[in-house]
Amino acid sequence: MKKERITKILLALVLVMLPVNFYLIFQVAPTERIMGDVQRIFYLHVSLAVSAYIGFGVLFVSSIIFLIKKNLYWDTIAFSAGEVGLMFSTLVLITGSFWARPVWNVWWTWDPRLVTMLILWFIYIGYFMLRKSIPERMKKARYSAIIGILGFLDVPVVRLATKWWRSIHPRLSKEGGGLDPLMIKVMLFSLFTFVVFTIIVILFRFRVAWAEERLYSILNEMEEYHE
Amino acid sequence: MLRLLDISKTYSMRPVLRGVELELKDGEAFVLFGHNGAGKSTLLKIAAGLMSPNTGRVEITTESHSRGGIFYIGHRNGLYNELTVMENIRFFQDISRNRNGKFPLREILLEFGLWQRRNDPVKQLSQGMKRRLSLMKGFISGADILLLDEPFSGLDVRWKEIILERLRGLKKKGVALLMVTHLIKEGLSVADRIGLLENGVLTFQCKKEEITEEEIKEMLRGGVCR
Amino acid sequence: MGFVGNTLAIVKKDLLLELRAKEAISIMVFLSLLLLVVFNLSVEIDTENVSRLAPGILWVVFAFSGILGMGRTSLSERDDEAYLNIYFSSVTMESFYLAKVISNLLFLLLMEVFTIISFVVLFDYERLILALPALTLPLVLGSFGFSVVGTLFSFLSTGSRFGEIILPFLFLPVVVPILLGGVSSTDIILNGSTGDTPAKWLKILLVFDLLYLCISLILFRYIIEE
Repeated sequence: MKKERITKILLALVLVMLPVNFYLIFQVAPTERIMGDVQRIFYLHVSLAVSAYIGFGVLFVSSIIFLIKKNLYWDTIAFSAGEVGLMFSTLVLITGSFWARPVWNVWWTWDPRLVTMLILWFIYIGYFMLRKSIPERMKKARYSAIIGILGFLDVPVVRLATKWWRSIHPRLSKEGGGLDPLMIKVMLFSLFTFVVFTIIVILFRFRVAWAEERLYSILNEMEEYHE
Repeated sequence: MLRLLDISKTYSMRPVLRGVELELKDGEAFVLFGHNGAGKSTLLKIAAGLMSPNTGRVEITTESHSRGGIFYIGHRNGLYNELTVMENIRFFQDISRNRNGKFPLREILLEFGLWQRRNDPVKQLSQGMKRRLSLMKGFISGADILLLDEPFSGLDVRWKEIILERLRGLKKKGVALLMVTHLIKEGLSVADRIGLLENGVLTFQCKKEEITEEEIKEMLRGGVCR
Repeated sequence: MGFVGNTLAIVKKDLLLELRAKEAISIMVFLSLLLLVVFNLSVEIDTENVSRLAPGILWVVFAFSGILGMGRTSLSERDDEAYLNIYFSSVTMESFYLAKVISNLLFLLLMEVFTIISFVVLFDYERLILALPALTLPLVLGSFGFSVVGTLFSFLSTGSRFGEIILPFLFLPVVVPILLGGVSSTDIILNGSTGDTPAKWLKILLVFDLLYLCISLILFRYIIEE
């Protein structure tokens, strides 16, 4: 099957690229002048952020498709991507902390990008709380699709608003100054690695979720014939 | 005309309706009998479009000149308890689909014995009065198809008669009626056809003339199956 | 009635209901009063810092009282299945949603005026009252945004097991732009600023309002349909 082959290729790619990526980050990339080795977290932090956005983006698109087609397949993709997105965004927030502490001596900065990620994090916590609170399958899917769509569309607005807000309340900046061309190459490789990684993780999560879904529907049908 | 085609519904892993088929023509009344839990209310909700069936579909065809649509009255009365009788019914009229002009409310409120209490908040009314108000909405809705779930609950003999008379009047005007009730005599008095729903299956259907009250009671007791 | 007529009829009905029941308004008003008192007990507010703290405190109170009050308004339709009236009428989903947004907006504004007056009294901050005319636009735009999002979410949350508890979790992250816009414009109006005008922030509020209004109008039907 074509899907199987693509999956295998992607998986192989990821299994190779991830270690290579870490090697590049920790051995090959030059040390940053001002911040030192801690700056290396930057490559992971940004890549994780992109991964998180991919996850939420997939959730957004799947939610729309679900509302149109009403097929639980799409809802399953949505919440699988959501879980992955949530996991990655948690890591973004944590790595942000690890970076901020040694460099600026604070655990948190009110940088607009970080704030946007935090708000998004809350929105998706809300997404899963809503899902948990609705027992009925179709309703659960419909209602969470609405949050998935609204939440994602909030992102640009939050970003804009926090950027304007920060300009009147200047805080510590996350900018690291100019980037060495080798650093840029490592960054790009890192981004590419994590994009593929994200796709694979979502794919696998989805498979498990979809298998569960099909199992439950079979069990339901069996109950019916058990009269 | 209302048609229910191969309607099945499963709720929380339990089959509630199985392959129910029903046809209701304009000006015709179909009364559904059955035990509690047989699926009658569910069937009515599906016919009303409040629930979607797992299989099958609901077909509603109305003649081109009438746009009255459906009206459903369930177990609850659909009244705003804090508002008065008048406010409830005025609001209902304001948003109603009935384009045939406003009903003279005084007349119908008098007939339903609610005129005296028209400025009282609904929460102060008795159960019977609330039910009458609820049914009254159905009569002024201008609907072509009326779906009623246990309409007589809380009503005494006098009011049951008045409602039945009104329902017969609606039939003459071409309104189709699908009614669920456990009151066999009353059901028969307005029905053109009756049906029996048992465990989600429509086990029996016939014209009103072909059956007696006793026979229906017998079937409900689990006896004769025709 | 047409779209506008139906919408206004529902708004009228909601206002009438609230006038009688006073559920949502009393929650909002008492909660905002309580929050103001709690703020003062936990944060030392004196004539020195009151100007700086006022915008933030006010908008936080608006958001919290607002969302808990708005949770109530979707409930009034569930009571006694009153939503059935609307379901079987000529009212469209969009009209229904818009009507709820308008009623919620009015309740919010009422609560906000009350909160502002209470703030002036409790903290002896007269500048706030003098600034009220200038604050109208931020208040209206911000509250409209609160209402658009809050109304939609209240219909999402009342149907679930946790009920309204989940509402602040859903609501607050999404309305962050409104909080930022509201606080910033209020701050500029009250305290002035160098090189920044309220207009910039009002633009964000307007964008947010229009964006979310359009999306919510499209998405609302998916909450209601079965």
